[in-house]
Amino acid sequence: MTTENRIEALRQEVRAWLESNVPTGWREAMTNVEQDAFVAAQRDWFVKLSTAGYATPHWPQGWLGGGRSLAEQKVIFEEVARADAPRLILYFVALYHAACTLFECGTDQQREKYLDGILQGKIWCQGFSEPNAGSDLASLRTKAERRGDRYVINGQKIWSTMAQYADYCLLLVRTDNSGPPQAGLTYLLLDMKTKGVSVRPISQITGDDEFAEIFFDDVEVAVEDRVGEEGAGWAVAQATLASERGLTLVELTQRMRYALPMLVQSMRQNGCEHDPVVHRDLGKLIANVDAACALADQYLMKRIMGDEQVGDASIVKLFYAKTLREFAALGVRIGGLQAQYYSGFMRGATQETGHWTLDFMNSYNWSIAGGSNEVQRNIISERMLGMPREPKSWQLAEGKA
Amino acid sequence: MSFELKELQDSTRRVIDAAGIAADESELWSQLTELGWLMVTVPESLGGLEAGVQGACTMHCELGRGLARAPYLPAMLALDAICGSEQSERDTWLEQVFAGGLITTCLAECSLHVSDSRLDGSATGVQSADSAQHVLLWTDSNDLVVLVDLRKPGVAITAKPTWDLTRRLFDVELDQVPLSEHHIVAEGESARVMIQRLAALRDFYLAADAIGGAQTMLEMTIEHLQTRVQFKRPLALFQALKHRCADMKASIVAAEAMLFDALRRLEGDLDNPQFGIKARGVKMFATTMFTQVAEDCLQLHGGIGMADEHPCHLFLKRALLSEQLSGSGAAYASNLALDLIENSGNLQSGKCA
Ligand SMILES: Cc1cc2nc3c(=O)[nH]c(=O)nc-3n(C[C@H](O)[C@H](O)[C@H](O)COP(=O)(O)OP(=O)(O)OC[C@H]3O[C@@H](n4cnc5c(N)ncnc54)[C@H](O)[C@@H]3O)c2cc1C
Repeated sequence: MTTENRIEALRQEVRAWLESNVPTGWREAMTNVEQDAFVAAQRDWFVKLSTAGYATPHWPQGWLGGGRSLAEQKVIFEEVARADAPRLILYFVALYHAACTLFECGTDQQREKYLDGILQGKIWCQGFSEPNAGSDLASLRTKAERRGDRYVINGQKIWSTMAQYADYCLLLVRTDNSGPPQAGLTYLLLDMKTKGVSVRPISQITGDDEFAEIFFDDVEVAVEDRVGEEGAGWAVAQATLASERGLTLVELTQRMRYALPMLVQSMRQNGCEHDPVVHRDLGKLIANVDAACALADQYLMKRIMGDEQVGDASIVKLFYAKTLREFAALGVRIGGLQAQYYSGFMRGATQETGHWTLDFMNSYNWSIAGGSNEVQRNIISERMLGMPREPKSWQLAEGKA
Repeated sequence: MSFELKELQDSTRRVIDAAGIAADESELWSQLTELGWLMVTVPESLGGLEAGVQGACTMHCELGRGLARAPYLPAMLALDAICGSEQSERDTWLEQVFAGGLITTCLAECSLHVSDSRLDGSATGVQSADSAQHVLLWTDSNDLVVLVDLRKPGVAITAKPTWDLTRRLFDVELDQVPLSEHHIVAEGESARVMIQRLAALRDFYLAADAIGGAQTMLEMTIEHLQTRVQFKRPLALFQALKHRCADMKASIVAAEAMLFDALRRLEGDLDNPQFGIKARGVKMFATTMFTQVAEDCLQLHGGIGMADEHPCHLFLKRALLSEQLSGSGAAYASNLALDLIENSGNLQSGKCA
């Protein structure tokens, strides 16, 4: 079989499987649902998808579902988007951030210890951001002190998605204050049940509490749960962050494309189906969504060909985040007063639920998290367009906090 | 990008860079025809390069980078129609083009009808009509594509000076022009398909041209910001300006991805009606993007941007015209929306709130 035929055969296989396996009515079921039911539903779908081998196409050969080429992975993601399957947000960090970090920087022992657990449904969260370290991640202060064969951790993380459900955490801590900030970071794997860990969910503007604070009070982590050398945490964290680029954006842009008819449905419901002004806005959005899909696709092709350049990923993320906001904003306009009536929230849904005001709030996920739009613009202008970096030295004016 | 396309791109860029921004029309035209560039999409069997629409767009992009003045865009459209013709005159027309003769066409609106074997009507946006021998036009009923001799009685051309200084447009009026067999390029169903295809190609070519123009404009602007010093530092250090450049870069790259993605998917299937709607989306996105980029870049140049001697305004004016040629952004946006509305019948339940 030629490569093209093989890819097409895979597409048909995945499509057929999804047709008979995607839970029907999951959107209704996940609207205003209690947490336990949400966790159960995510787990059910995770088990189904991973048993079929479609949750881990990006894993290496030898692991369930792994060893797929990027082109094959892309097909699986496109089909999942096309089938409007639930998004596995509870397992996102486990399947991507944790797995990719372990594959790239972990030891054999660590891979053995943790990866099977991921396949069995262990949930991971990412503990990088802190109250005083967001965009400037390298300034983080959560401290880990080496005592014999353990690290003792004190400090606080924030905005950690799904931390309240997590079994494990990818933890970035400070082990040294003497050199440049990046050089003093160390990367640890933490069991969330360890003594001294406490989690406090943070209520979001959507009404959901999808992220949380994590507090550390003399929490002990064994040295063998360190990824990379002491002081090499920054480089390991880059591997973690890179894992959500590429395929995820192919899936998300495709989902956005398949969600366009929802806007038409709202137009019909709200009687603006024939409004020429709405037509214009919708037409512009359609083109932007098309461009976002093409960008994500092109980016993946570049990676397949080994042509990726600095800034490419930033362009895709920035453009997606902006288009997603426009999408939701148009939904809000089309929805009119109707969209202002509280309609609850949908757990574990995609970015497009048709609850337009909720979607609008949720679109900030992509413009703030994972390097904000502004940070992406810095990367594009400085590293791609060769414009100068901000001057480093700067001091607070006398008497200011 | 394939190796062949890359080569085509490099060689075009060399020539255009050497010619400079908005170089002289007739000089560039002779250079273009001598190098055989009009032949990019022409099949090898007819003496062309057979580089397909991707090849043509790669070239239009490069020509757009230099705000090239020559009427290669209508010429390539007319040539595409001629190559698709099944008429016996085809080879005579091809020879005329190979010899450097210009056959132009309409970049705006064409409204023609036939009665008693005579053509009446008009066409707007006919580029460089004064230096062309023939113009390729089509009837309102979409069943006839003709080549009209611009020097024959009953044909009047009127120059329509534009703000854009890089393209010269004309109106063409036909008054009882005898229609002879010799001038029919396509009839009936094949004419219908040809007209659709020409409309789509016109959109793709204008999009490619806009992408090229936007690229140069942004590069020039960044260079300006790097060298212009105010407040004891290069302007390029100001983040407010850097971020605007980053946004412009992202939309240029997006337009390019969108254009070539559409061509990759549709290249082998140019007569598919989806080709037309895709082309409209790409044209709208790319030309609006070009206007936005040109608009912002002029602003970032400050006073010098408003000086006639500086090329900024040439980009802005070309962008504004391109946005209106073929079909306006507003009209195309409505087309896209109506297409979606028509094709998204009733959603399966569960998908929507
Ligand atoms: C939905 C959501 C989920 C998240 N999940 C996780 C998670 O699981 N784990 C985790 O560790 N973190 C997570 N985060 C945190 C996220 O990574 C940070 O919010 C992000 O890095 C921004 O940091 P900040 O919130 O401190 O904002 P700040 O860095 O304080 O930024 C505030 C504003 O200033 C702008 N800004 C900052 N620096 C610059 C600059 N140099 N130039 C120009 N503008 C600048 C920003 O763009 C922003 O608009 C999540 C955030 C969100 C919103």
